[in-house]
Parts: sequence; structure tokens; C-alpha cells
Amino acid sequence: MTNSHLVHVMQSVMKTVLLALLLTGFSAMTALAQTTPAPRQSQPVALVGGTIHTLAGEAIENGTILFEDGIITAIGVDIALPEGTLTEDVTGRHIYPGLIDGWSQLGLFEIGAVDMTVDVNEQGPVNPNVMAERAFHPESRHIAVARSAGILTAVSSPGGGLVSGQSAAMALDGWAWDEMTVRARVAMMVNWPNPNNARAYSGQVDELRAAFADARAYKQAFDAAVAGNAVRPGFDSRWHAMMEVFDRDQPVVVSANEVRAMQDAITWASEENIRIILLGGRDAHLITDHLRETDTPVLITSVQASPSRWWESYHAWYELPRQLHEAGVTFAIVGTSSAANANRLPFEAGTAAAFGLPLDEALKSLTVYPAQILGLDDVIGSLEPGKHASLMITDGNPVEYATQVLQVYVRGRKSDMNDAHKELYQRYLQKVQEYQGE
Amino acid sequence: MKSNHAHRSTGSSPVYTGILLFLLAMLPLVLPGGLAAQSQTSPVDGMHSNTPAVHAFTNATIVTAPGTTLTNATLVIRNGMIEAVGRNARIPADARVWDMQGQTLYPGFIDAHSHLGQREPRVELDRGNASWNPQLRAHLNASAEFNSEDDGRETLRKAGFTAAASVPTLGLFRGQTAVFSLNDGAPADRLIADGIAQSISLAQSREFGFTYPTSPIGVIALIRQTLYDAAWHRDAHQAYRRTPAGLTRPEHNAVLAAMEDAVSGRQPVVFDVRSDEELLRALRIAEEFGLPNPWIKGSGYEYRIADYLKSQSVSLILPLTLPAKPDIETPEDALNVSLAELRHWYLAPENAFRLSAEGVQFAFTAEGLDNPADILHNLRHMVHAGLDARTALAALTTQPASMLGIAATHGTLETGKSASFFVADGDIFVPGTRIMDVWTEGTRHVVNRNPVHNPAGVWAVSASDDRINGELQLTESRSGRFSGKLVRDGEEIELMNVAYDDDTRRLRADFLHEEGGSSTMIRLTASLTDNQLRGWGERSGEARMQFQARRTGAGAQPEARTTEMMARTLTLPNIRPAMEYGRERLPEQPRHVLVRNATVWTMGPQGILENADLLVREGRVVEVGQSLRAPRNATVIDAEGKHVTPGLIDAHLHSGVTGVNEVGNAITAEVRMRDVLNIHNIWMYRQLAGGLTTAHVMHGSANAIGGQNVTLKMRWGGLSHDLPLDGARRTIKFALGENPKRVGTDRYPNTRMGVEQIIADRFRMAEDYRSAREAWERDQAGIPPRRDLRLDALVDILEGNLDVHSHSYRQDEILMLMRLADDMGFRVASFHHSLEAFKVAPELAERGIGAVVWSDWGGFKIEAYDNTNYNARLLHEAGVVTSLHSDDSQIATRMNWEAAKLVRTGVDREVALSMVTSRTAELLGIQDRVGSLEPGKDADFVIWNGDPLSTMTIPEQTWVDGRRYFDIREDAELRRAVERERADLIRLIMEAGND
Repeated sequence: MTNSHLVHVMQSVMKTVLLALLLTGFSAMTALAQTTPAPRQSQPVALVGGTIHTLAGEAIENGTILFEDGIITAIGVDIALPEGTLTEDVTGRHIYPGLIDGWSQLGLFEIGAVDMTVDVNEQGPVNPNVMAERAFHPESRHIAVARSAGILTAVSSPGGGLVSGQSAAMALDGWAWDEMTVRARVAMMVNWPNPNNARAYSGQVDELRAAFADARAYKQAFDAAVAGNAVRPGFDSRWHAMMEVFDRDQPVVVSANEVRAMQDAITWASEENIRIILLGGRDAHLITDHLRETDTPVLITSVQASPSRWWESYHAWYELPRQLHEAGVTFAIVGTSSAANANRLPFEAGTAAAFGLPLDEALKSLTVYPAQILGLDDVIGSLEPGKHASLMITDGNPVEYATQVLQVYVRGRKSDMNDAHKELYQRYLQKVQEYQGE
Repeated sequence: MKSNHAHRSTGSSPVYTGILLFLLAMLPLVLPGGLAAQSQTSPVDGMHSNTPAVHAFTNATIVTAPGTTLTNATLVIRNGMIEAVGRNARIPADARVWDMQGQTLYPGFIDAHSHLGQREPRVELDRGNASWNPQLRAHLNASAEFNSEDDGRETLRKAGFTAAASVPTLGLFRGQTAVFSLNDGAPADRLIADGIAQSISLAQSREFGFTYPTSPIGVIALIRQTLYDAAWHRDAHQAYRRTPAGLTRPEHNAVLAAMEDAVSGRQPVVFDVRSDEELLRALRIAEEFGLPNPWIKGSGYEYRIADYLKSQSVSLILPLTLPAKPDIETPEDALNVSLAELRHWYLAPENAFRLSAEGVQFAFTAEGLDNPADILHNLRHMVHAGLDARTALAALTTQPASMLGIAATHGTLETGKSASFFVADGDIFVPGTRIMDVWTEGTRHVVNRNPVHNPAGVWAVSASDDRINGELQLTESRSGRFSGKLVRDGEEIELMNVAYDDDTRRLRADFLHEEGGSSTMIRLTASLTDNQLRGWGERSGEARMQFQARRTGAGAQPEARTTEMMARTLTLPNIRPAMEYGRERLPEQPRHVLVRNATVWTMGPQGILENADLLVREGRVVEVGQSLRAPRNATVIDAEGKHVTPGLIDAHLHSGVTGVNEVGNAITAEVRMRDVLNIHNIWMYRQLAGGLTTAHVMHGSANAIGGQNVTLKMRWGGLSHDLPLDGARRTIKFALGENPKRVGTDRYPNTRMGVEQIIADRFRMAEDYRSAREAWERDQAGIPPRRDLRLDALVDILEGNLDVHSHSYRQDEILMLMRLADDMGFRVASFHHSLEAFKVAPELAERGIGAVVWSDWGGFKIEAYDNTNYNARLLHEAGVVTSLHSDDSQIATRMNWEAAKLVRTGVDREVALSMVTSRTAELLGIQDRVGSLEPGKDADFVIWNGDPLSTMTIPEQTWVDGRRYFDIREDAELRRAVERERADLIRLIMEAGND
């Protein structure tokens, strides 16, 4: 009670502050903090009696999952619990790994039409050096909304231009971006030019090639200097940021939807000997052999959408995940561009399931697969000892609309399940009750 | 020096006079164009002309009228008129005789809808008593505005035209059309008929800037208002003329006065439309205003509605344009081409044929074609595609002549009619046939000429110079183009720059002469008479030479270029809409349908029934219950394990209309979305596939008071006027907050305060307007009040005949409109979007105002930031009738999932589904017809493969009016058919070559 009262007072104060800031021309980015970060895990926690969907193997009925210091230490049926373990009975509940939004603008995007609240597109076409986590706004109210829907990691990504910058995997609970960063520099974001813009297309592809050629030349000079064969080149922030790409250490996420864009991007990547992941992939069903044989994974954006070509089926995009699954193409399902709608991610996978993707594959496309594709599978994506204790307790499959997400743990933190939506509901319920009481 | 000059030029100094004389001397240089334009009343300058104008065309094939051909006949013309025509016509002794052996004479073509002489029209009409809106130009006359300079007559003449209707080009009401001869001369002499029709365009002209109307809805509203105004203008002046004393003088508006004949049905109206949908809109306007037999200049898409047009009284004018080949250069390009575009490419040549097959009459126009060759080329394609040649000819002669009222003088070759015809070297419908001469009112215009001589052949050269002695071999590579060589001592030397001009009979050719290791150019030129060439030449740097040559052998005829027309191997049925997944006919309506053993969500008092049956008769629900008996011959569907719900309803959609906002004014209550429905809307099919059967299609949110919405059913396969749900409550869109504020930089309102005030202000106007009308109804005295469609709508709101549905976000603005409505005495039916409706839920509940919300949208703008996915839940709990909406064509394809999301926020399952069915119907005022499965209601229902609120569920069948409009199995077949047809058409395009 006191806690919630405090929140109210805080909000009222902050609202006044916000208004003052707005009136004096400051950015509206200073949004309300809806929830307070949960404290770090301080004692072992065991969730006992639930069905554990580890997604690393068969589901474990009536199992126990134990985690300490934010890391899973044991999963099984009969597990010895260390002394001082906090035990929670979750009989009849389901435990799933936290969902991963493999392409998100959470923390970078607040209000679409208010530029000052959006930190996605840096100036100019080539920005490999900008890093998403550095601008990640932990107080964004969209974060708690996504978290209470079970999305516990967001790969926040810059956009715009040709080379947009570097994405970062962010845990959706914590005080500030440094401690929330699961992994920085997850991928280099590239926008493949639009081939339907026939006049500009070749020129734009050339521009992209040239940027990579310059970056490669920089790396060659830099490596030569390290080997003692040359003088160290003058520092170039842009090309320096791209060195890991050429070692194939850092993947390049290339947004491409049209068949030409996808094929041209794959060919480009093989010439550059870099590792790419396609983002979008609308026409991916036309070139499944090419994708599979070149080991090119696809991050499918917004399944709940319809094709722009009239002749294509009304469910062409609903069934794309099934088609890729059946063709043996590696894929994940990722979010829409608006952080305000990040909570819809599980439903996108649900729609894929309705149109033929096996239900367990639908779940993996939000967990195991994005983790594998983006190189995060050592820490998240499935429930296994040694991985982060980022998980949710539900009353059913999280891709089902009616399912309730009852509690989430983010790296062992037992998160506040409140969010702006629920808070507004609670607040104005009081008004309704007051008026109805009259 | 300077002042001196200034002083001198003010008087009649020698210098000044000199300048004047110089200017006068310049005049004749300017005049020749003007001289040609002398009319019958002009004084004669210089010598007058009286060249005999009597001609006899003998041995001709004469098409005197479509379907009537005389062979070996004679046509005699005198002074621009036909004196005689026939096999035995006497050749007058004073006639110049033209041997027409092998030639065919046709009546001159008449273009029923050209823009002849209307190039560069005046944009500004800033003088006189014109109308307030620059798009209204009905008082202009094509004849008075006519400009002969580069008027387009030569292009038309080259294609066989001799007369054309001239239609002004600018504005919505564009003015009076006139018919002109394509003869040279002054407009006054060329004018055949004046004031023959009032022209109305369904597209506003951009020349007048971005002002009202900015959209197709606004265009139709302004046309409608102007037609009312014209009738009012007439009546008001009649009343004023009777007793002017004591009356305010009605405005004298030249535009409205000019339309008096048209609105009284005494003058035809010619509509100019750009699509089949616009054509239907024009017909609806004509019907609404009782304009008899409108003329409509079409778009080439009329074949799509041929079956409908046959029952309409309309005179069509069809364009001779044909669409360009769709871009399928690469397979990726082909992916992006729609079946609609592919089909239209193939079917456009069949347009006229399909209409004539339905008995629809039409004339043609060459409007839109700048190349005369394309006119005949396209006409032949149309005949090749099935159009009867006689009908084609009639559409260019007798049909336009009778429409335009000039049949007494034009259209056929009969004694007494205008000597306006053309000469072709064969049947004009045969590719390769050329138009040789066009005669306009007795004046000849040469279009093509057969050469009198031809230099092709073998020529023996004898010359003073051995270097050109030998044999010239000239060949005609194609008509009028020559090449050749000089054979000299067994050596063949290629000729260069070979050219022959038949007008002057002059031949030119060059060749390179090799001698002593160096080469020089020898240039020849010669004059041709029959079989002799007399010429001379020049060798660079040396003396000139002379030569002559004698023809010793004939030249080969150039190979006739035959243009092979594409074999029309495909028979494409007419489908509606004419695009992907269109249908040949509406799905049948079985007399009885019985759906058995389903879980039926009745959304009525019966609730959810397990193992239940739904019985439908002639499109209406008869009963829902257990173990119903199947009537004889009923269509029985076993739905065991499946769920049945009412068809879903979307309370807020913008798909299937041409344009959403009329932004030309902050108050646009007069515009109506039902005016601009467009069935070529793939979303309708996709929405059916998602179980949607009814949608409230709304005006946009640009204006504080927007337009009137339309509630329609997803009758995929119907025409646009088949879609509205009859008997639905009339509704109108209001909009509050950011959107109406931010339209334009100088448009009122600019604040939420202003939004309130402008709404209130217009309602005050409407009250005064209503009083004035009531006084007139009572007393019938004085000048009748003008009918104002904008204020009419507001009066309808005040009287409870038009429901307000308002776009809104913030609680303050929601509360504002509620209070304003309380004060003005009208009711708001619902607030849409209303992201903050939950903050004023008690106030809404108290007034019985509904809320139409999203399940989970927000964050896209500042007024949408305080959103909660619990909005619907809290509203419902507070007793507000709440519905979901999509405001998005895609979301409208899956409204059950939108409802399902509410279950996650704690809304009861049946309540959640009611927010896309029964509660939506209640808010839209259509609950007597749809929204639940109860006896007597429309048989609009969906059969789902499971629980409609589950992620895993998809619709299998969607029924509207007891007709199965979507079936998941049929969809798979249709998709295969679409793919097949696309493949066939793409193959044809690849084979078609460049013709």
C-alpha cells in the first residue's frame, strides 16, 4: 500500500516535472518510470512443481528449476536444493524461457510522431560506429509492457541509412543500460537498397560496397601495423567499428524483403566473406534452396501482415514461417518496428502456428532460434544450467492470446509485473468506483 | 543626351515615325496565319480566291454509311457539299475528275469528345460574376474560348477525322461544348454546332491549387451542391422577377445561369470519367438529379460493367487509347504486376466489342492519343478483338453525328451532306491500309501520297567521266527508302546517302572512289523522268562532271511490311471485381442452409450453444437450436467440432474508397463516403477470409466535422452501389485533437479550443438555416432558401437522423464534445480510438455514449501516449457499450484475434467477441440486421475451425446474406486459377512483340 502510494506520489511529481520540461522546450523523453527494477537475486530460487519447457529437450512435468545469482544451476525432477533456497510452488503452471525480440527498438523509441523521443536513425548513410545500448532509455514505459508479456530480452537496433550501427541484446529489467546489456555489438545493421527503385538501386549497392571496401582497407592497414609491418593508420571511428565484421566475429543483419535484394545481399556477403542474417524476408519462400545452402538465416518481421501483391494469398505472410521451416531454412520471428507494440511479439508466432508452423517451432522461433542466430545461445534462448535465469511462469502457451503471464524473472530478478497499462487501469478504476458509489 | 532622347520620343519626331513605320512593315509577317482565318464576314485582303470547287471521284469504292458500300461508284461534290453519289452519278462538265481506282472513300470520322482548340485555357477568371469556386466554369463556351493555333486538327485529320466535338478542359463544370469542322479557317466558319452539352469532370483541376474540393468525395459533393444551386438560382430569379419589391436580390451567378438548361433536362450533360467506378458515380449523379440520358466519356474500363450498362440510359463515348504493356521485363518485375493490370492489358481491346455484344451503343473519341498512327492502329486492334467493323465505323460516324445533333449534315456520304470524307488505299480495318487524302468540306488535305516515279531499277550510265560510267543498281529497301551500288568494270561500289524526293523527282547518292591508293568522295545528283536520269556530279577538289542514265531493268517491289496481330487465344470471362479473386457471379443463395453440430456463439439471448444447428432461409436466420430438421433440398453443412459466430463487424475502416479525407474545409459534413466506394479492393476479399462481413467505412480525421460514413457489407462480386447495408443508421465523422489542428498552416482551428468553437459555430448556423427553411415551408413567401448540403447534415444531426462518431484521443476533448452535444441537444453515438476514454468512462456511461477502441495500439503520437490495453475492459466494467475497431485494412482481416487479446486483459470471452459483433452493431445502429444470430437477422456468419478466440483458429467459411462469399477450399482453387491466368497473360505479353 505504501509502496503503491509512493509510486503515485512519484508519478504526480514527475508529471509536474515533465510538464515543466515540455513547457520549457525540453524533450518529452523524460517519461514516467512505471516500475522499479527488481533487486538482484540474493538467494537461490527454486520454482517447484510446474511444467518446465526448457526448449532444450522434452518438457519436464512436475519439475524444479533452480537458479542462483541470476544463473540457472539445475533443472530436473528431484533436485537437491542448497540451504537458504527460496522455494516457490508453481504446480499447474508452465515455465518457459523468456522471449527474445530479435529486432527491436525498445529503449530507443518512445513516441513515434515526436522526433525528440526517437533515437533510431543517425545522420548520414554510414554509421557503423553507433551502438544501441549507449542510448537505451531504461525508463521507457514500453519496456515494462513488453516484459509483462514475457519478452525478457530485446535486441535493440539502430536503423536508417545504409549501415545503421550496432545492435545490442538488452535484458528488460535493471537500473541503467550498462547493467541491462546482455551483450553489446550483437550485429552490424545494414539496409539493403530497394531494387524496385530501379534507377537508384545499382548506385546504392555500389555505395555500400565502397563503404565495406574502405573499411576492409582500414583493417588491412591496422593489422599490418599490429604485425609491425606498417605505421598505425590514423584512427577512423567508422571503419574501426567494422573490424570484427571481417573476422566473421560479428554478423551483419541485412534488411531485405524482395527476392532480388535478398539474393544480391547473399552474393555480396559471400564476396565480402562476412556472415549475414537477413531481416524481413518477405520473398524468402521463393529462394529457400539458396538460403539453406548458403546457411543464411532469416529474421522474419511482422507475420501478422498481408502481402502487397494482390495476387498473393491473404495468408502468404502468415505461412512464411511454415514454408521456411519445411524447407529447412533457419529463421526466427522478430518484432515490429514500434517499441510500443513490442508486446505483440508472441502473437506473431501464434499466427505462424495457426497457419501450419508446429507449435513448438513457433515457441523456438521466439527463443532458441533468435538466440542461436544472433550468437546469444550461450546465455539465453533455452532453460539449461549455466544460462541466464530469464524465464516466465504462465498458465499456458505464451503464444496463445488468452494465456496469462504470471511472473517473470530477468536474470534472476523477480520483476515487477506492473506496467503503465495496468497502472492506468488501476488508477481509473478508482474513478469509476468513486462515480458508481455516488 | 538622355533627356534629349526622352523629349524626342514623346513627340511625332522623325525617329518615332520611323519606328511606327517599321512596326507597320512588320505586320504582314505576322498576318498570314490570320489571313487564313478570314471568315465569311471578313473583308478581303488582296486578291480574292475562287478556285473551282467541283470534284468528281470516279471508279471508287464508296462506303456511304456504315454497312453500305458501293463499288465502282462516283462521288460528286460542289462547294463543300455532296452533289451526287452512286454508281451512275453524272460527272458534271465543270468537275475536276479524280480517278479513285483501287481507293475507298469513307465518311469523315467525327470525334465525340476532343479537346480541339482548348489548349492553354485561361486559368484565372478574375472578372465578372463568376462563381466562388474556380472549378466551376459552366459559363465558358468551347466556341468562344476556341484557339485555332495548333488546335490539334491536323493530328485528327491524319487519322480520317473531319469534325470533332470540342470540350473545355479545366474545372469540374467545364463549360459548353461545341462541334467544329477540322477544315482550316476561322473558328466562326468551322463551328458546326454550339452549346451542345454541358461538360462535367469527376476530377478537379490541379491548376487551381489545393483548395476545396481536394478529393473525389469533395468533388461529388460540390457537383451535387452546384446542381442544387443551379436549380435554386433559376427558381430564386423567377420569384424575384415576379415581385422584386422588398426582396433581397438573389445573386446573379453566370455559372449557375449557364446551367439552367442542363438542370432543367433541356441540355445534355457530358461527364468525363477515369474509371468504371467513376462512370457509375456519374450515372448515380444523373439519376439523383434526373438528368436524362447522360453522355459519358469513358476510360476504357467500361467492359467491366457492360452487363450493368445495358440496362442504363446512357450515351457512351469510348476512348481509342489502349494500355501499355505491363512491365514484365524481369521475372521480379512480373512478380509485382497484378492480375488486374495484366487482364486489363488483354481485355482493353475488347472493350467496345463486349459493350456492343450487350447492345450498348457508343461513339469513339481519339482523346488521349497524340499520334494519328495510334488511332487507326488501336481501332484495328479493337476490330481484331471482335468488334464488328460496321459498329466500329458507326462509332466514328453516324453515332457521334446523331449524339452531337449534326446527323443532317455529317456522318454519311449522301447528297446534300458535307463533303467531309477521306480516301484510303483499301479497307481501313486491314493493317497496312493508309489514309491518302482527307477532304474537309470540299478541301483536300494530303496525308499520304503514292510516289509518281520510283528510281528503283537498273540504270546504264553514260558520262563524260569514266569514274561514274557503269551500271547503277537502285533498290527500294522499304517504302520511300533506297539503297544501291555502282557496278563499274566488274567492281561493286556501295552507294551512300541515297535519297529520292518524289515531289521534285530528285535523286541523290554519293560513293567513294579509290584511285592511286587514296579515296575521294564523288557526289551525284539527278533529275528523274520516267526512265531517264539527267544529272551531274562533283568530285571533291576537282572539276564537275555530267551524266545521264537509262533504265534497263525494273526494280523489285519492296516487301510489304505485314503487321501480325497477336493471336487472341485466351478467353477471359468478365469477373467482378476485375482483379485477383474476382467472381463471374455472386455466390448463389440457397433457399435453405442448415449448419449442424457446431458450437454456436449466437451473441444474442441464447448465448453460446454447444452441438447446435443454425437454420437459414433466403438469407435470413430462421432459428438456432438443437437437432433442427433440414428442409427439403437444404444445403447442409456438418460443422462438428467447429464454431459458428455472427459475421464480424469492424466499426472503423477506410478501405474500399477512393480517398478518405476532404481537407478543403474544416467542416465537410456534406461529403459522403458512399459516393466513392471502389470495389477494386483486395482487402475486401482478405477481410472476408478473416470472417469480416460488415464494416463502417469512415471519412478521415482531418476535419472537426468530417464527412458522412457508410456501413457496408462485404459483398465481394457486387457493384459499389450493391455494398451499402440498407437501413443502417446514417453516421457522420467528427474529429478532435491533433489531426484537425494540424491540417494546413493557416486553417482554423489551430487549438483544441478552436475545434470546440468551430463545431459550435456551425451548429448555430445550422439552427438559423433550419429556421429559415421552416419559415419558407410555412409561408412559401419570397425567395426560396438555398439548399445547403453542409448545413442539411448538421440539421440532420440536431434532429437525431445522423449519428455522430467522433475520432478522439484525450479525455479533455472527449468530455468537451459530450458537453457541447449536451448544450446543442444532439447525441454522440460513440468516440472512436478514444485511447483515454477509460478516464471518462463514468461520463460516457451516464450518457449512453459508446466507445470504439483498439485492443492494443498506442505510443505513435503524443495524444496517443497514455494508452492502456485495459481500455476496453475498464470501459465495459463502467457500463459503456464498447466495441473494437481496426482503422486498418490488415487488422480488419483478423478482428477475432483483436477480441482475443482482450481476454488476456481479463475481459470475459463472450463479451470480448461481442465487441466485434453485437456491441459493434448496436453502436452503429444496425443491430436489427446483423451482429447476432437470431431469428429474422441477416444470415451473416462464420464457420471457424475452432474456438474463435484462440491463436490457432482460422475461418473456413464466411457467409453474407446467406451466400458463401469465402470458402477456404474455394480460395485454394481460386489462387491456382489466379496463378494460371497470370502465367498465361505474361506468356502472351512476351510473345506479343512490339505491336
